Amino acid sequence: MTVSPATVLHSEWTKFRTIRATGCVLAGAFVAALGYAYLFGTANGRAYAGALPEEQTSFDPMETAFRSLALAQLLVSAVGVLTVTAEYVTGTMRTSATVVPRRGRLLAGKAALVAMIMIFCGPLIALGSFLLSQAMLAAQGAPSAALTDPGVPGSIMGGGLYLTLIGLYGVAMGFLLRRTAGAVTLGSFLLLLPASAPLFPDRLAEWVVTYWPSSAGMGMFAPAPSSGALPPPLGFVLLAAAVLALLLGGFAVFRSRDV
Amino acid sequence: MIELRQLTKRYGRVTAVDDLSFDVRPGVVTGFLGPNGAGKTTTMRMILGLDAPTSGAATIRGRRYTDLPAPMHEVGVLLDARATHPRRSVLDHLKCLAQSNGIARSRIEEVLGLVGLSPVAHRRAGGLSLGMSQRLGIAAALLGDPEVLMFDEPVNGLDPEGVVWIRTLMRGLAAEGRTVLVSSHLMSEMALTADRLVVIGRGRLLADVELDEFIRASSRESVLVRTPDAEELACRLRDAGAAVRPDAEDGLVVEGTESAVIGKVAMAHGVVLHELTPHRISLEEAYMELTRGSVEFGASGTKPGSDRVEFGAHGGGGR
Repeated sequence: MTVSPATVLHSEWTKFRTIRATGCVLAGAFVAALGYAYLFGTANGRAYAGALPEEQTSFDPMETAFRSLALAQLLVSAVGVLTVTAEYVTGTMRTSATVVPRRGRLLAGKAALVAMIMIFCGPLIALGSFLLSQAMLAAQGAPSAALTDPGVPGSIMGGGLYLTLIGLYGVAMGFLLRRTAGAVTLGSFLLLLPASAPLFPDRLAEWVVTYWPSSAGMGMFAPAPSSGALPPPLGFVLLAAAVLALLLGGFAVFRSRDV
Repeated sequence: MIELRQLTKRYGRVTAVDDLSFDVRPGVVTGFLGPNGAGKTTTMRMILGLDAPTSGAATIRGRRYTDLPAPMHEVGVLLDARATHPRRSVLDHLKCLAQSNGIARSRIEEVLGLVGLSPVAHRRAGGLSLGMSQRLGIAAALLGDPEVLMFDEPVNGLDPEGVVWIRTLMRGLAAEGRTVLVSSHLMSEMALTADRLVVIGRGRLLADVELDEFIRASSRESVLVRTPDAEELACRLRDAGAAVRPDAEDGLVVEGTESAVIGKVAMAHGVVLHELTPHRISLEEAYMELTRGSVEFGASGTKPGSDRVEFGAHGGGGR
C-alpha cells in the first residue's frame, strides 16, 4: 500500500464533503449565479423595451447570458480558498502533511479535487445563468437566445471552464496566503480589478481590460469577440497560465515553508 | 528505529535544536524529556519532515520520513490532539486520514474500539473532552499499525485514569517490539513509562541513558555540611576520597562518603560543624539538576556538556 494520487484524492473528497462550510459556499455560487441571472435578465429586458428602435436592433441577448458569472466567480474562488485555509485554521494541515509528506502530492490532490468539482458544477452554473437570463429577457418581449443557437453550447462550456480555473485560482491563493480572510479578500479584489479599469489612464485601462487574466478569461464565454478583445482560446491560455503560475508559486512556498 | 544525526534548527539567531544526535530503539519506550521550550516538539517535527532542519538529518529505519511511500503504515504520530476540524465527526476525521494511505474502513472501527471511542464515533471532534481528543489522536496514530510511534506530550491535561491508560498502551506497544518515542516535561511520568531517557535542554543533548542507569546515578546519597572552615574540610574530605562541591555560603555537598565518616574527619582535624545532613536526591531533583544549566545559563553556560559526560559515562551510548 502506498500513498498515491488516487488515495490522496479520495481523502480530499472526504475532507470536502464532511465540512459543511465549503459546500455551502459552492451552493451560494449557484444561488448568486441564478439570482443575478434573474436580475440582469429583468433589467436588460426592461432596458430593451424602453430603448429606441435603432438601439433595439443592436441588442444582443448573449451579453446578458453570463453577466452573473462575474459575481458568482467570487464564491467559486472562495471554495478553492477554503479547501486549503480550513486546514490551516484548524491545524489539520500539519496532520495532512504528516500522512502525505510529499507536499506537491498534497497540493495536487486539493487542486485536482477542486478542478473535478468545478468541471462538473461550473457548466451547470453557466447553464443555469443562461437559461434563467434568457427566460427573463423573453418574458419582457426582448430577443433571447436558445440553447441550440450556434455558439451557445460552446459559451456554456467556456463559462464552466472559466469557473474551474477560478476555483484553482482560489486554491493557489489559499496556499499563498494561508488565511481565509486574506485569501478571499485579495483574491476577490484581483478578480474584480478590471471593473475599475475605466478609472485608469486610457492605455492602462485598455491593457487591463484586454490582458488582465480574469478579464481575458471571460472571452471564453463572450458572445462574439468584439473589436480589440482576445479570441476565446487566447483568453483561456492567458487565464490558465496565470493560474498555473500562482499554483506553482503556492507550491514553492508550501514546499519550502515549515508547516 | 529512529536515528538523529547532528540535527540542528535555527530560527534567525535563535538555535532551537542544537546538533542533536541519538537513536530511538525498538522494543522499549524512549522518554524524550526536557523543560518547556527545550526543542522537543521542533525535533519531532523535523523527524516528520514538517520543519526543515537547518542542518543534519533524521531517518526512520534508514529512510527519511518524507521518502516513506505510505508513512502511516510505518510511523504513527500524535503531535497535537486538538488539531481536528471541530465540525467533522470522529469517524470522518479518521476516514480522511485512513483514505490518504489506503487504509481499510474496517481498521477504523478496530482502532476506535481499541481506544474506546466507538460510542462517540459520530460525535463532532470539536465536542470531545481533552482526554477523548487525546484518544482520537492515538487512534489516528495507530491506524496504519505502524512499527514506529511518536507521541508529543500525550498525557498533558489528562485525568489519572487517562494517564494510566496511555502509559499501559505505550508499554504494550513497546512490548510488541515497536519503537516508541514519547516526549514529556515531567520526570515523574517518564520514570513510570520509559525504559530509556533522552534528555535535552535548550536544544542540546544532556543525557541519553537507560532509566535504570539514570536512577542509579541520581539516587546517590549526598551529605550537606555546614562549617566555618569549609575550605579546610573540603580539602581533608577530598584526601579521604569524597567528592566535594561548595554549596551556598558556608556549605559543602559531599558525595561518596557517609556522614559518620565526615564527622570523624572533621573531629580529627578540629573542624567545627554546624550542620551534617544526609540527603537522598530524588529523580525529580536529579532531572532538575541536569536541566538547570540549560534553563538558567542558556547557550553561554557550559553546564550541559559536563552533565552529559556524567551520565554518558554510565553507558548511555550504544548498547
